Amino acid sequence: MRRAGTGIAALFGRSLIAAGAAAAAEPVQITMWSNWPDEPAKKEWVAARVRDFEAANRQCAVKLSFIPKADIYTQAKSAVRTGQAPDVFYLEPDQPEFLAGGFLEPLDGHVDLAKLEDWAKPAWTSKGKVYGLPVEAYTVELYYNKDLVKKVGVEVPPSFQLTQSGFADLVRKGAAAGITPVSQGVGDRPFPGGLLLFESLLRKLGTEDYGKLLNGTLSFKDPRVLEVMTWFKGLVEAGAYPKSFATLKLGESHYYFYQKPGALTFPDPSWFTGRAFASPESGGMPADFPLGIMQFPAMDQGQCPSCKTLAVAGSFVMYARGKNKACAGALLDSMATIGNGDKWVEQVSLQTGLKSDPAKINSSHAAYFAELNARNKGATYFFGTPLMYYRSKCAETYTQVMNNAFPAGLIGVNEAADKMDSACRKGS
Amino acid sequence: MAGTSALAAKTEPAERVPASGRVSDPRRASWPVLLVFLAPALVVYLGLTAYPAVRTIYDSLFTIEGAERSYVGLANYRDLLGDETFWIAVRNTFVWAFVAPILDVATGLLLALALYAGVPFARFLRVAWFTPVLLSYVVVAILWMWIYNYDWGVVNEGLRAAGLGTLARSWLGDPNTALAALIVTHAWKWAGFNMVVCLAAIHALPSEVLEAAELDNCGWAAKLRHVIVPMLRPTLLNLYVLAFIGKMKVFDLVWIMTGGGPLWATETVSTYVYKRAFNWNTFDLGYPSAIATVWFGVVCAAVIVLNRIFKTRDRLEY
Repeated sequence: MRRAGTGIAALFGRSLIAAGAAAAAEPVQITMWSNWPDEPAKKEWVAARVRDFEAANRQCAVKLSFIPKADIYTQAKSAVRTGQAPDVFYLEPDQPEFLAGGFLEPLDGHVDLAKLEDWAKPAWTSKGKVYGLPVEAYTVELYYNKDLVKKVGVEVPPSFQLTQSGFADLVRKGAAAGITPVSQGVGDRPFPGGLLLFESLLRKLGTEDYGKLLNGTLSFKDPRVLEVMTWFKGLVEAGAYPKSFATLKLGESHYYFYQKPGALTFPDPSWFTGRAFASPESGGMPADFPLGIMQFPAMDQGQCPSCKTLAVAGSFVMYARGKNKACAGALLDSMATIGNGDKWVEQVSLQTGLKSDPAKINSSHAAYFAELNARNKGATYFFGTPLMYYRSKCAETYTQVMNNAFPAGLIGVNEAADKMDSACRKGS
Repeated sequence: MAGTSALAAKTEPAERVPASGRVSDPRRASWPVLLVFLAPALVVYLGLTAYPAVRTIYDSLFTIEGAERSYVGLANYRDLLGDETFWIAVRNTFVWAFVAPILDVATGLLLALALYAGVPFARFLRVAWFTPVLLSYVVVAILWMWIYNYDWGVVNEGLRAAGLGTLARSWLGDPNTALAALIVTHAWKWAGFNMVVCLAAIHALPSEVLEAAELDNCGWAAKLRHVIVPMLRPTLLNLYVLAFIGKMKVFDLVWIMTGGGPLWATETVSTYVYKRAFNWNTFDLGYPSAIATVWFGVVCAAVIVLNRIFKTRDRLEY
């Protein structure tokens, strides 16, 4: 009886040890939500970084999900309040409420911040701490179809920058030839309709006054602003945008530009490549497409023709109430290497806020990258897009008015300026 | 034995006739039994309906930023009075809620009458007309966004084919037509439901009345106007009120097709609440809760008013 009892105890003990060993071998699972389910190059970059991390850190496992950006924001807003947010998730600097609400973990103790570009850190810096890993950075560019622009009789100058009247001429000639001058749609995004106007305002006002405009200390009734808006209104009335502008989605506007029906120009952040360099069967740009990049037009008496918007977009942040911060932090740290920066540039053909080594980048789109670099050489950067400055009612008004109604020709210059001032002007 | 007598002594008062003279009904379940049966439904109701509603009203008195909340009393309600977008949303929702049900019910009634009159392929048409009811709002929205597409949508292509190309427009992108375009889409989705209800009601009409009308040489139009529609009145009013309640809360279709634009022309109270709660770079649920609370009151009040108006002659059931 006693021997049997000893045997049972030994068996129980062995089971406990086995269970303990199994528990010790069981990796800690963290969850990660990433954007870019429909952008193969970025998706593959993220998936590869997670695979590399898991291979090098057997004690951590990552449950990675690719979710459209809007859904991530909506789900994360509920989840952070209830303690159920993923350990690591995608965020852009235009969602400051997560940081203001105290839901983000500072990366300072987790990530080697020396691996991030200095110009990219301010996008995620608050009270001296950095809260986001700035994977995706971009400049706002004006892509164009070299053949179609030539076909309508416009010669792009060696500076690759048309004048204010030269661009208006391009629009008029395109419309007369039955070719849409500017491919753009606002069916599913709050910003594309403002790209051409606000880039023009930046070149007219220069970085300082443009910053004041976005901060609400300069009125939209400023004569210089009204002048640019009036010029822009002329483009709209000349038929610059597609008739389906209000309902055309971002992905569709890509297709509109480089497939069917075709357009002369396409203002887009340089993340253009995420869709354009997908295979043509997946809606990407045909291999022989005559893609060019020109500067946004120089405004008459403009303060800064060489100005350009630079911004941080897709980033990864850590949830402050996450239970597995060690693994989550290690994952982000493993992503922030120069080698990974190189791979991002190679695979995605897009700028990054991670440090990279241009000498080692070997991209299949080298020609594109060379042209992008050439258009950015000597540029004076303004950091951030309007939606990174505008909040709440002002952001909603920007979306409805400057992104949609004004470029759609639904309202006039003064009405648009009034609406923006009443929503965004400090002290109004 | 002692135990038995004690039990008898205990049960004895219960068997007495109460002083009030009422005799207890042996078929009536005791409270514990009632509770056992009621509890599941009560728990679901309290947890998923009553608590969220009360909590929403409570939250409307606060400003909530992240994990912190500060009591602001009625400040959110005062702000609401001066919120231009809210009033645009209220106007749009009222237009939708009062006008669109007329279109819904009229279309449903016409389709039902067509089937009742025995149009060719009635069986097929009954299924075809009812099918949109089975589709989700997402599918319906995408379908109609294609139909309204400026470049290749059926509406504009049809107009161009008919030589009316000048009338072609961006139906969802024009503030003058966007709300109407959404209302038509909504009516298309729900016409089949109204048709089925009307058809059932028509078949339930007393045949002797209809036969008497025919014996009196009452024509089809007169029979419809003086016999069928008056007798269907309670059904039609029920459908109207049901549609009204649904449209006061309309969200899905608007969100997918226009997002409330252009220029807030299709903003409804529901889409505005959602925007304020999730799209305004803030975690504040206080202000959206105030909108939701006000609108809850408005919907209840409107239903009571409609009940009062219609109840004078017709009993509503929904």
